[in-house]
Amino acid sequence: MNTILEVNDLCKTYIINKRQNNVLRNVNFSISKGEMVAVMGPSGSGKSTLLYTVSGMDKMTSGSVKFCGSDLADMNENQLAKMRLDDMGFIFQQMYMMKNLSIIDNIILPAVKSDKKKSSRKNIMKRGRDLMHRLGISDIAENDINEVSGGQLQRACICRSMINSPDMIFADEPTGALNRNSSDEVMDELNKLNNDGTTIMLVTHDAKVAAKCTRVLYIVDGNIRGEYNINKEHSLHERERSLNNWLLEMGW
Amino acid sequence: MYFRILKKDLKRKKTMNTILLLFVMIAAMFASSSVNNIITVMGGLDNYFEKADMSDQFIINFEKNGEDNISPLLEKIDSVTDFRREQQIAGDSKQLTRNGKKIADFSNAMMILSIDNAKLNYFNKDNDIIREVEEGKAYFTGIIVSKLDIAIGDKFQFRSGDTVIELEYAGIAKDAFLGSDMMGNPRMIINNSDYEKLASDKSTHENNMISVYYINTNDIKALQSDLADLPPVNFNQGKKLLKTTYIMNTLVAGLLLILGVCLILVSFVMLRFTISFTINEEFREIGVMKALGLKNRSVRLLYLVKYLGISVIGSTLGFLLSIPFENMLLKSVSDNMVLDNDSSLMIGLLCSVAVVGIILLFCWSCTRRIKKLSPIDAVRSGQTGERFRKKSIFSLGKSRLGTTGFLAFNDVFSGPKQFGVMTAIFTVCLLLIMGLANTANTLASEKLLPLMCSTKSDAYITDTEMISKIVTGEVTYQEMCSDIKKKLADNGMDATIHSETLITPNISFKDEKCTTTFMFCRDTKASDYTYCEGYAPKYGNEIAVTYLLADKLGAGIGDKIEITIGDKTDEYIISGFFQSMVQLGETGRFHEDADIPDEMITQVMGFQIDFNDHPDKATVDERIEKMKDIFNTKYVDDANGFVMECIGADIKDTLVSVKLLVIAVTVIMTIMIAVLMERSFISKEKSEIALMKAMGFRTSSVIAQHTLRFLIVSAASAVIAMLLCKPVTKLCIDPIFGIMGAMKGIEYNIRPVEVFAVYPLIITAAAVIGAMFTALYTKTIKASDTSDIE
Repeated sequence: MNTILEVNDLCKTYIINKRQNNVLRNVNFSISKGEMVAVMGPSGSGKSTLLYTVSGMDKMTSGSVKFCGSDLADMNENQLAKMRLDDMGFIFQQMYMMKNLSIIDNIILPAVKSDKKKSSRKNIMKRGRDLMHRLGISDIAENDINEVSGGQLQRACICRSMINSPDMIFADEPTGALNRNSSDEVMDELNKLNNDGTTIMLVTHDAKVAAKCTRVLYIVDGNIRGEYNINKEHSLHERERSLNNWLLEMGW
Repeated sequence: MYFRILKKDLKRKKTMNTILLLFVMIAAMFASSSVNNIITVMGGLDNYFEKADMSDQFIINFEKNGEDNISPLLEKIDSVTDFRREQQIAGDSKQLTRNGKKIADFSNAMMILSIDNAKLNYFNKDNDIIREVEEGKAYFTGIIVSKLDIAIGDKFQFRSGDTVIELEYAGIAKDAFLGSDMMGNPRMIINNSDYEKLASDKSTHENNMISVYYINTNDIKALQSDLADLPPVNFNQGKKLLKTTYIMNTLVAGLLLILGVCLILVSFVMLRFTISFTINEEFREIGVMKALGLKNRSVRLLYLVKYLGISVIGSTLGFLLSIPFENMLLKSVSDNMVLDNDSSLMIGLLCSVAVVGIILLFCWSCTRRIKKLSPIDAVRSGQTGERFRKKSIFSLGKSRLGTTGFLAFNDVFSGPKQFGVMTAIFTVCLLLIMGLANTANTLASEKLLPLMCSTKSDAYITDTEMISKIVTGEVTYQEMCSDIKKKLADNGMDATIHSETLITPNISFKDEKCTTTFMFCRDTKASDYTYCEGYAPKYGNEIAVTYLLADKLGAGIGDKIEITIGDKTDEYIISGFFQSMVQLGETGRFHEDADIPDEMITQVMGFQIDFNDHPDKATVDERIEKMKDIFNTKYVDDANGFVMECIGADIKDTLVSVKLLVIAVTVIMTIMIAVLMERSFISKEKSEIALMKAMGFRTSSVIAQHTLRFLIVSAASAVIAMLLCKPVTKLCIDPIFGIMGAMKGIEYNIRPVEVFAVYPLIITAAAVIGAMFTALYTKTIKASDTSDIE
């Protein structure tokens, strides 16, 4: 059984001013272990809502989401929180961090909270520093979050998402607030993680980012209109071009 | 456009604006009620005395057969401009009954006065002058009021000699002369025909007639010097001393004043903090407005208009709430005083307007930062100002605390300003309660025995009837002591009996003359008492005096003063100074060998009993109960009870009720501060809460972290308050005891469990419960809200 995330007939409805707003309509897809799936679509199409709903951060209205075989609909708030802490990692467009903590403390916070590995504080620190070293930001460990660049901060966020060795990382436009260089660096890191076996689902507007993934889901009006498998054997430039062509066909 | 921005702002930031509105309301309410209370209380006593038509000097004298010996003498004194004589009948609590049962239990002598013979203005509960009393009706004044076992309209009987009359309780009356807790002599004001029935009783006429003289003068010093030549009277004091008998009301009023000042300070500190906090949170809007081309002045004006609107609404509501709040606070002081303030509404309105002005000033000073905020701040999420400030204090990696504890501690120490303000406020609240508790506990403790000029004994009898037998000459002091001793021995309680007796001699030093009360006890040694300077009198011709008396006479240690007791005048050398609360500090002590006959005794403090077998406390308590039956009185106490009796049991009750009121006010204030602060923290930290939830923190962890911060703050306040408790109590309360005669300060009775455990726990619980219930609101913040955060 290779599937890590299985989504069936997922619906999400918001009621705003007594008006029903169907953000997700019968969404069906699955993600296998080791995949790196990008979700693309126009603004307001429901990309982020999809990400938050399948990761258990938001409640679904109907349908089912199975993560590692467990149906999220059957889990209570505490079980969902434990699952997010131990088995999932999150990266956001805005580099949200705890303002009163240093970079290294922000990174190790989920590990200290989690009892998954029952590591000593010393080992957790070592793991945090190793991750920072791997992402090339070990020199900012003790810095305050206001003292580093956006790119460094987003890499720190990746470290934090990785600290509990999650089964899957959910990233909501991880490069959305970064310049091109920083964006490339962050994507390179995510690719490395993916190559190491971590499953990633990310939301992006950027075809260049999506071209670095293994598969692209295209969502319009809360429904998946199509999916595109990227041939990893092609050069990045070729992948990007063919993805752009597909996106144009989808109405991008 | 301008008002559209404002309207949007008010709608969108509903929570913070509501919090601000509530703080403005509290500030206006506290400011209006407290300033009104301060004005009412500060001028209160003078106004009351003026309305009551009080004189400059007062004399009380028991009259054998109703003979007026004082008036002819007063008429001859030049310094007396005029005087009034108010004749009345003396009585005690046993004479007031209903179907054979006492209707009130009090130890002091009472006086029965005809309204037609009233030479002062007496007031009813609505502060109107009582001009007439219907036949068969009676008003009560002073300490009796709180002890009455009957309601208005109830009938009771009063017996004097062989005459019994039935009266109906008509209500309370306020008596400026004898109505204070420290004077403690109640009066019953009745119709003249009822009074005449009582006065015509032979036994009453012979033994129970008493007169009060209200004397006016243009030269109080000369008058007091002249009055020193009068034969011994039961009471001879000036208005100045009378004012000090209201010290306990002043103490309570003073405590309310301190409470008022604290409340004003606390609410303005909170207000300043909240305004600064809300403006700091609006960096993004300010940046955007500046990016759109709005000038600093326009942006500033926008916020000023907004805060003007909030402060006008808040102040109006606060002003309306201040009226019942003010009445509630004043009630505890005005039970036996006429305290009113004709311009309270105007003052309340002015205070509310001042609150609006102060808020605008705060806002003006807080909005100075607008100049520093640039359009870039809108882009950089307002981080520019704090860019290079190290925020993290502790390291999670090195800490042994769990995440919840660590985050709470780190938050508190990373935001010292906001949590420091709260710590300071909680500390002030705690100190207020602690100071009050220490005062109330000290007033009812044997620590004040030295100030009562008494030694420690196993038991004390303070029954008025027994004491008055000595005062009226029915029995001698020695006979009474022997009688008590015999009765105790008959009941298997061998004991020695002695009493602090009061002598009222005329004294003079150089040109100064006065009449004052001296302490004298043959059965103890002068060296058994505490002295502040010099030494205890060693010989019969040596005396010790209080600082106040020494000041009055202008005498020092080693000086010789003349004392006239009866017809005999002798010289006495001052050997030392001491402090005392007897006669409000104007007293002295004779050596035990001084030649003072028993008939010179004008008052007895109480009969002190020391059991020969030195029993333990439980046995003493048991014997005290037994003695109550033997002597048919409830006025048998241990040392604590004796001090209470001397000071006035009502005072402690008043202080306890004020303490409860202050505890209630501070607890409510603490809860409100905790609720409002936590709500503003949640609003400010919404992104972090959502992030924590997204990372996998449970809501309970978030609630625990937020609650723990308040626990840390209140625990820190408790520790600071414990350290400051003693010095702050001394600083604030010593001057009040100083007015009562304890010039050199007193030793406070600090009950560790009550002061250092119960009150800190109450404030901590209030803060923690307030914060915890508010933190439940974090349940509404979802992990997915990370996407909605600006």
